[in-house]
Amino acid sequence: MATDDGMTAPRAVSGQAPDVFRRGAWVPMRQYPDSEEVDFVIVGTGAGGGTLACKLAEHGFSVVAMDAGPYWRPLEDFASDEAEQQKLYWRDERIVDGDNPIDMGGNNSGKSVGGSTVHFAMVSLRFRPEWFKARTKLGYAVDWPIDWREMWHYYTEVEQALAISGPVSYPWGPHRPRYPRRPHPMSAAGEFLASSAEKMGIGWSSTPIATLSAPRGLAPPCVYRGFCVIGCSTNAKQSVLNTWLPRALDANAEIRDLAMVSRIEMGSRGLATGVHYYRDGRWRFQKAKNVVVAGYAVETPRLLLNSACAQFPDGLANSSGLVGKNLMPQSNHGVYGLVDQEIRWYKAPPSLSITEHWNYTDTGKDFFGGYAYMSQGPLPTAWAGSLTSSRGLWGEKLVREMEKYNHQVGLKIVGEVLPQEKNQVTLTDEKDAYGIPIPRITFSYGENDKRLYEHAVRFMSQQMEVGGARDLFVESDTAHLGGTAKMGDDPRTSVVNADCRSWDIPNLWVCDGSVFPTVGGVNPSLTIQAIACRTGDRIAEMARRGELTRRTTPA
Amino acid sequence: MSKDHPHADTSARYPDYDVLAKWNTPSWNDPTRAAVGQRLQVRDEPRFLSAERFRILKAVCDRIVPQPTDRMNKIAVAGLVDRMLEQTESVGYRRAEMPPLREAWQRGLDALNDEAKVRFGAEFTDLPAGRQDTVLELLQQGDVRSSAWGDLPAQGFFKHRVLHDITVSYYAHPTAWNEIGFGGPASPRGYVRIEANRRDPWEAEEKQGAVHHGD
Amino acid sequence: MPPDFWRRLTGTRTREPSRALTLTAPDRESIDLASYLPARLRKLDTLPERAAPLDAQTRVEVARGMNRGAGVLAGSVLFDSAIEHYRGGFHNPAMFFPLVSSTLSIIASASGVGDNTPSVRRERHVAYAAAAATGFAGLAFHAYNVGKRTGGFSWTNVFYGAPLGAPAALVLSGLLGVAAERVRDAAPGQRPRLYGMPESRAIAAVTSAGLAGTAAEAALLHFRGAFQDPFMYLPVTIPPVTAAMMAAVAVDGRPRKRPVTRFLLRLTAFLGFAGTGFHIIGVHRNMGGWKNWTQNIQNGPPIPAPPSFTGLALAGLSVLKMLERSRRE
Ligand SMILES: Cc1cc2nc3c(=O)[nH]c(=O)nc-3n(C[C@H](O)[C@H](O)[C@H](O)COP(=O)(O)OP(=O)(O)OC[C@H]3O[C@@H](n4cnc5c(N)ncnc54)[C@H](O)[C@@H]3O)c2cc1C
Ligand code: SF4
Repeated sequence: MATDDGMTAPRAVSGQAPDVFRRGAWVPMRQYPDSEEVDFVIVGTGAGGGTLACKLAEHGFSVVAMDAGPYWRPLEDFASDEAEQQKLYWRDERIVDGDNPIDMGGNNSGKSVGGSTVHFAMVSLRFRPEWFKARTKLGYAVDWPIDWREMWHYYTEVEQALAISGPVSYPWGPHRPRYPRRPHPMSAAGEFLASSAEKMGIGWSSTPIATLSAPRGLAPPCVYRGFCVIGCSTNAKQSVLNTWLPRALDANAEIRDLAMVSRIEMGSRGLATGVHYYRDGRWRFQKAKNVVVAGYAVETPRLLLNSACAQFPDGLANSSGLVGKNLMPQSNHGVYGLVDQEIRWYKAPPSLSITEHWNYTDTGKDFFGGYAYMSQGPLPTAWAGSLTSSRGLWGEKLVREMEKYNHQVGLKIVGEVLPQEKNQVTLTDEKDAYGIPIPRITFSYGENDKRLYEHAVRFMSQQMEVGGARDLFVESDTAHLGGTAKMGDDPRTSVVNADCRSWDIPNLWVCDGSVFPTVGGVNPSLTIQAIACRTGDRIAEMARRGELTRRTTPA
Repeated sequence: MSKDHPHADTSARYPDYDVLAKWNTPSWNDPTRAAVGQRLQVRDEPRFLSAERFRILKAVCDRIVPQPTDRMNKIAVAGLVDRMLEQTESVGYRRAEMPPLREAWQRGLDALNDEAKVRFGAEFTDLPAGRQDTVLELLQQGDVRSSAWGDLPAQGFFKHRVLHDITVSYYAHPTAWNEIGFGGPASPRGYVRIEANRRDPWEAEEKQGAVHHGD
Repeated sequence: MPPDFWRRLTGTRTREPSRALTLTAPDRESIDLASYLPARLRKLDTLPERAAPLDAQTRVEVARGMNRGAGVLAGSVLFDSAIEHYRGGFHNPAMFFPLVSSTLSIIASASGVGDNTPSVRRERHVAYAAAAATGFAGLAFHAYNVGKRTGGFSWTNVFYGAPLGAPAALVLSGLLGVAAERVRDAAPGQRPRLYGMPESRAIAAVTSAGLAGTAAEAALLHFRGAFQDPFMYLPVTIPPVTAAMMAAVAVDGRPRKRPVTRFLLRLTAFLGFAGTGFHIIGVHRNMGGWKNWTQNIQNGPPIPAPPSFTGLALAGLSVLKMLERSRRE
């Protein structure tokens, strides 16, 4: 038999799916033939798609969720090795341009069953409530069509589902229920942020994080190995792969790994009829009553645009012309420095401490929006990448600098970037291996964005200094893309409504980071999952009321 | 499994530390041994690039990540870059002005060599180390004269391909981990002592440098 | 485990005095901890003695029971602090003290358990007093260490900083050991007072406080573990009730049978050992299980901690025996 490495042949076949908790083991899986018109076919099984697959299946719908990536068993497939683990990332070609081209690949998105959560850093934060009404309450960008109190409810649902480890009480924002698990012990890297924050007179906290501080079922607690962003080989990390998807399978969802969707097919009645996908060496077509696109903020608009047809020549769900527009990364600037102590930041999840001071303080700012920053712990090749790209070091200088690895500390922001239509995902003429046009990702910072990260860099540099770090340097970076199929309550200015349902095609839905009207100053995955939970519940409610097949009208 | 494990050169800063000594301990699991084991087999021989380009690449690697002269088993950096090119078509993105990964390397190495000829009248590989450094510095500054560059941006080639791909290959090697005192593979066994100035018995002990052992 | 372990533990068999340890003559005027207590506490002196004096044989039996309890506590401390201080790299030489002290306390306890004579030994007394003193110093050190961490007495720091439970257990081992010597030592017909109180009530009070404190420590650490396993509720439900019953004994102090308290004490004693079993399973549930013991022994649930409950419960059972025997007179 050929080696079962997850990458050469699909694993979720013959009525079973890989058991993520046991080496070489399987769990039963319901399967649907291509010809069966399932209730929902979902493209992408990441933070948005995987979560929604679980919710819809648990509500009793028939669900097939496809992912272009492999179905891993972390215990046997994940090496403690940066180079080897590149296999988790979306490495198909993408072209980046604009004034500030975004680094993609490992920096940004994944290609696995479980999506980018398989290699995410597990930071699990709630939005500041006012951000859902950014225009009305804070005077910038746009409002969300969802009320924060409703989100607060769904955040709780996600935090419970992921058994988030967090502080006993969180210092910012309105009351939230206690995190299901207690915080982790503080690493040296995290302690640096904490003690220097105290010297600056600002608040700090243990980071709410999706890795276990005590066992859960077959998943052991975190062993502080620090390889989180290249995949957690222990299952301590609570990713979509080992939380929502096992539940989805239990509820009779089917998951198809190594299944690349190229196009959504439209029927004569203005409804989507299913998806074309490539799996196991051939092109196939899955019929479905509803199609959900959840492929990440680049692949989602790519698929919608590539599904253009005579009826929708500009791409699906694109009557507003906004599909692909308003692409928002988050600014991810960092300040690094050297200290006397041995920090050894390769240990433990990198971002064990955080300050959201500049998310919740509105005075002393010359910009709109906010940012959080966290402690850092890059692995060797990532660190070499920082030294070469930010400082242009090479030769003897680089080697000497790398030797200080165990004495480095750093702080890095997750900063809000405001929506601009000119920042966008479009299709090029170049084709990938499937014959699908390669996407072009265009990004330039706006003036507000620049003021925000400059403020952050100034403030963090000051903090690094009072904390005793020297030889500081700044890294410019971006992370976490969103916004290319924004939600809203006006079909002219948004792609989907609050329920993630497209205005143009009532049985076409988008459920991932693409729907964010604004991205706030916190990592997005908790919010993506909360939206998916809400969408699942809303769909069930609409189905009960017989509204699933009817056309949507603006609220 | 045999109790033997491979060895890598130790470093001056962490003289007693060889990350490969943990090969048979709970710090290493099978997928890691497989991946790193393969890497250790890589020799400085081309599989993807032509012999001519590979020689240039090798000379460039020696300048980008110079290795100590007394190192017994030098890291086959050029071999690793070549292997990466053999196995990978893309790192997931490229700047609009840059050609795809493989093409960028092929054209870039040719142009770099031509730049050496234009500037110093000799092949890059025949230049003394100082001159080679000068050529690389010129690339880094985007100050190039050879027409071989065509529409390939020299600066972009240097930053995104030369610097990135070579250093990433070097620091993926256990010998480089020894050099910087990285704990290396850590699964199933991770770490117990994660606070400052503390280390587990299976971590590198630092012997040199500005180490302050406070409480 | 030796075959007669349980019998020895529950004191159902009397043994010939041990000759393994040749210690010197008894000393009746050894350290009186009560004299160190603040004046206000010494008002306890006025608490009435409600039990009749005990005969010498009973005293020895009771004392041996308490030696057993003190020994189990010291054993728990020895292994727990060995692991914890190894983890701390013994970066402060004082981190060896509890190891030495708990070892001496174990030796003293073994000597006491094996000693069938109604005479105290100065060495035992000194070892126990030293254990109590070391424990107190440890408590202060640990509290200081937690307080000086970034964030002070925050949840994270009390979860993961130096624990108060371990040095407190050493204090308890010492106090119970000293008490054991005093019980053994009393002249026939005498009704000695301990720590300023009638002896049985004093020991009951120490046991009660110890159980409550140990349960509080378990509560803290099991809260840290988010009570992920329902069994984690056991040590925070049963021992507190037992502690309350022992507090009632201390207040009441009358010589009578207390079957419910006895049952609870036995249950608590059992729970201590069961806890170790649960923690062994807990270590197995960590990544790599027992194969990765070099990490998991340190990061997993503390295997030696739960028997502290057993040690205290054994002391509690001795008190009950005292009160029952004095009833018979
Ligand atoms: C290194 C790193 C660290 C991060 N850390 C954090 C963090 O700490 N906290 C946080 O909140 N967020 C973090 N993120 C971001 C977070 O992981 C993503 O924002 C989130 O997972 C995005 O969710 P999504 O549903 O939009 O897409 P994804 O989770 O990326 O899922 C998309 C899935 O769709 C599949 N797909 C796409 N197109 C197709 C197609 N045509 N056919 C079939 N399948 C397709 C992909 O293979 C992929 O698996 C991190 C990201 C990275 C890269
Ligand atoms: S540090 Fe914890 S979460 Fe991160 S990879 Fe290791 S076990 Fe997983």
